[in-house]
Amino acid sequence: MNGQSPPVRTRRQEIARTWMRAVYPTAYVPMSPTEIELYLLDLVDVIADAIQAEPFSVDPVEVVGDRLVEAHFTGPETLRRTVDVLGRALLFIPELQDVPQLAEKVVAILGSVSTSFATSMRLDAFDQQEAVKRALLEANRRTERVLKASEAQFSEVFDTSAFGIAITNLRGECVRANGALAEMTGLDHAALAGLRLIELFDPADVEAMVATYRAVGEGRVERVREQRRLLRDDGEPVWVHLAVSLLRDEDGAPAYHVTMVEDISELHLLQKNLDFQLLHDSLTGLSNRQRFITRLESLHSASRHGITLYCLDLDAFSVVNNGLGHAVGDRLLTEVGRRLEALVADEQALVARIGGDEFAILIDNSPDTPTVPEMVERISAAVEQPMVGGVALSASIGVVDRPPSGSDAADVLRAAGATLQRAKAKGKRQWLPYDRHVDQAFRERQSRAARMPGAVAGGEVEVEYQPVLDLAGRQQLGHIARLRWDELGHDDCLDLAEATGVSLALGQWALHEAAGDAASSDSLGLLYFELSPMQSRDEDLVRTVKRTLDDTGLPASRLRIFLDTRAMLDGDGEDNAQVLRDNGIEVGLTRFNGGQAELSLLGELPVDSLVLDPSVVRRLAEQPEAFLHDAMSRMVSLIRSSGVSVVVPDLSTADREAWWAQVEVDAAFGDHLAPPRPAYDLL
Amino acid sequence: MAEQVSWVPDNVDTRLPSAARLYDYLLGGGHNFAADRALAEKFLLAQPNARTIARLNRAFLRRAVLHLADAGVRQFLDLGSGIPTVGNVHEIAQKAAPESRVVYVDYEDVAVAHSRMILEHDDRSAVLQEDMTDPDAVLAGVSRTGLIDFSEPVGVLTVGVFHFVPPERDPAGVVAAYRDAVVPGSYLALSQFTADLQPDEMAGIVAVMRNSANPMYPRGHAEITALFEGFDLVEPGVVPLPLWHPEDGSVDEDADRAGIFAGVGRKK
Repeated sequence: MNGQSPPVRTRRQEIARTWMRAVYPTAYVPMSPTEIELYLLDLVDVIADAIQAEPFSVDPVEVVGDRLVEAHFTGPETLRRTVDVLGRALLFIPELQDVPQLAEKVVAILGSVSTSFATSMRLDAFDQQEAVKRALLEANRRTERVLKASEAQFSEVFDTSAFGIAITNLRGECVRANGALAEMTGLDHAALAGLRLIELFDPADVEAMVATYRAVGEGRVERVREQRRLLRDDGEPVWVHLAVSLLRDEDGAPAYHVTMVEDISELHLLQKNLDFQLLHDSLTGLSNRQRFITRLESLHSASRHGITLYCLDLDAFSVVNNGLGHAVGDRLLTEVGRRLEALVADEQALVARIGGDEFAILIDNSPDTPTVPEMVERISAAVEQPMVGGVALSASIGVVDRPPSGSDAADVLRAAGATLQRAKAKGKRQWLPYDRHVDQAFRERQSRAARMPGAVAGGEVEVEYQPVLDLAGRQQLGHIARLRWDELGHDDCLDLAEATGVSLALGQWALHEAAGDAASSDSLGLLYFELSPMQSRDEDLVRTVKRTLDDTGLPASRLRIFLDTRAMLDGDGEDNAQVLRDNGIEVGLTRFNGGQAELSLLGELPVDSLVLDPSVVRRLAEQPEAFLHDAMSRMVSLIRSSGVSVVVPDLSTADREAWWAQVEVDAAFGDHLAPPRPAYDLL
Repeated sequence: MAEQVSWVPDNVDTRLPSAARLYDYLLGGGHNFAADRALAEKFLLAQPNARTIARLNRAFLRRAVLHLADAGVRQFLDLGSGIPTVGNVHEIAQKAAPESRVVYVDYEDVAVAHSRMILEHDDRSAVLQEDMTDPDAVLAGVSRTGLIDFSEPVGVLTVGVFHFVPPERDPAGVVAAYRDAVVPGSYLALSQFTADLQPDEMAGIVAVMRNSANPMYPRGHAEITALFEGFDLVEPGVVPLPLWHPEDGSVDEDADRAGIFAGVGRKK
């Protein structure tokens, strides 16, 4: 907590401020912005200290979720934004850069924060429900008009409660129990009536429960809250939170016990946690993803004529958001939501906002429902009609029409989402129906992505070395580091890593491995190392590289770093090239397409080599020799004449080798020349 | 079935949504029933920004109370206080000055019962079950609590509630009655919905609330300003919620979508 150096303190304060600004609009917290920032700074301290602690444990951060809920940071968006801000900040904060396995620890920490947040929210809701029910009782007692209160009104509260409620007389016999309790215990109402409530508890808990009821009945304690086990009808124990309080008659004499029960068994808990992401999107007022899935589930199984699901994504919406401001963006989203609702007003339908600029429409088909192409037409028309300020949007749409009734709701939504992704890949204003075979491949990739962080942590990802050759003399210039994860090659690994956010951690690890291997093997020669986009932008890149060289003993002259061209174009990390160069490390660009903007980069950055983009090489290989080849040939000679050498990746055939050799590129690598080899093969 | 138990009084109809519980729900609270939540969903359809408005209104209450506490006010009368939720007046005022005294007034059974529970152990605060549009009854009740000394300045708060006062209850007359009961140097903090900012959304809200227990009456800027007759308006006058004394470091809020005008006046 204390004794940190001033820069460390400042960085933590910056995180707290970013965090404050992200969650401030999500919930009402009765503090000034400055007070909130200090409150969150305490939590940043807890988290940052936990990440650095040896041995590592997530236990200390459990308090973070509790503290958030305690201060009422409980809006529907609060947790998501918290995870967002922390996830990003923790990976980049300099004080944590030396922590081994940082990415995995951050994931674990955020998981623990989320869990404790959800648990606290649940307890908080339980308390509030307890309070409002007590207020009802209280309101009743005061009015002293108990005699003919409407049974219907009472039932409303009683029957619709998500919590099990039993009212027992002083002999412990159930005079009334609600549906939730019946469901929890597996007994029906009739069986519950007259039953001694105590018999529902696990025998091990019975004695303690008798004492509890007695203490409350005698007025020694006002109310008791405990965690106990109920026994289901089938003998299965159910963990519950329960609250026991006393109900008095008009004269103030004890009359009944009220027992409120919340099922906290794991399955139920999971369900509840989902429910907690409140059911609606706060911006548009549409259903949110959770509610949508629930409705999808019930409609899907009950539908007579089948359902149709449309997932749509506004094209280039980030451009609108960045260009016109988020306030306008929010208004547009709201308007789109409204139009979509109007569009399906005559249908049994539900419109939801299921992501930032992603909407979904679920239609329970009737004989009169328009066909899918007609519907797509209408959706496009609704979205494309100009909005406030003359903005016209367009949307890409993925459609799943009448999925088989056996399929799982989550699968249906996922299929629609995947179809949407494919539609988007085709360009703007596209729509596609679901295709099972294409989807399968997409899905495998997604599941791989999910496993990536674990694979990195578990050492399943390896660094291999592929010889880089001078095409003219077939001389070996050095080796380029390549990632491999089972059958996945370098580019796939990098893509997955970028997609899952572990690319920075993975890149740092790989650089360290490669430098270590190169240092212990002179025969490896010059080490070519390509950085991922995220790594290229990393403001601590230079420090990371220098430390790696220090640690491994590899001389700077044997390392050649290639920065990602796109990342440089975006303007982040431009300094990295200059500072690396100032430190005696040769710098190049990789994934170079040859676009005009990219060419101008060559004049601006101190680079002396570049690796072409594999897709450029592939495209040339696929097409008959023509204009494109001619253009490439001229470009290569132009680049080379400015003193920058050109490296060709992924050379696949002898034919191709000959062509590139004649273009006079400086070097190449590819499976045709020599496949990548593991380190032990080289040493 | 054995005995029947009934513990909901017949004047608490949980099927009839209440504005107090609707507000609680919009603020993310759990003190509400299915009917309240259903109404809230319609409310949100009419005014998608409703959660933000609720938050901004609650934040205005806090800043207004702190402003009054700063000006030396130590007794508060919170008219139409609703369901106690996060950041209640007595918590804010007593944190600023522990000797502060607060009387809450609401007519809704559950809100009052709930307030009683919250205030059980606080002898500097009380709740009164009265209709705020009946100032005579309210002022008589306040006197009985013995918490408010009418020879000292009082902070009269009617935050996010005046839009429930229908024209036939003489809104100006209601405010005037409270004004006349307090000494010069007392304050009025008031916020209420307006159609000036987002006419379409406001019309939607009015339609949604028309058949609830709490129909709504938006008012224009001039009409709200006129309620402060006999008070000097604290700068910047009657303004959209987020523009009233924003705090350092606060997040930019969209004033055009704040739905509610707010102001604070000091009695001449």
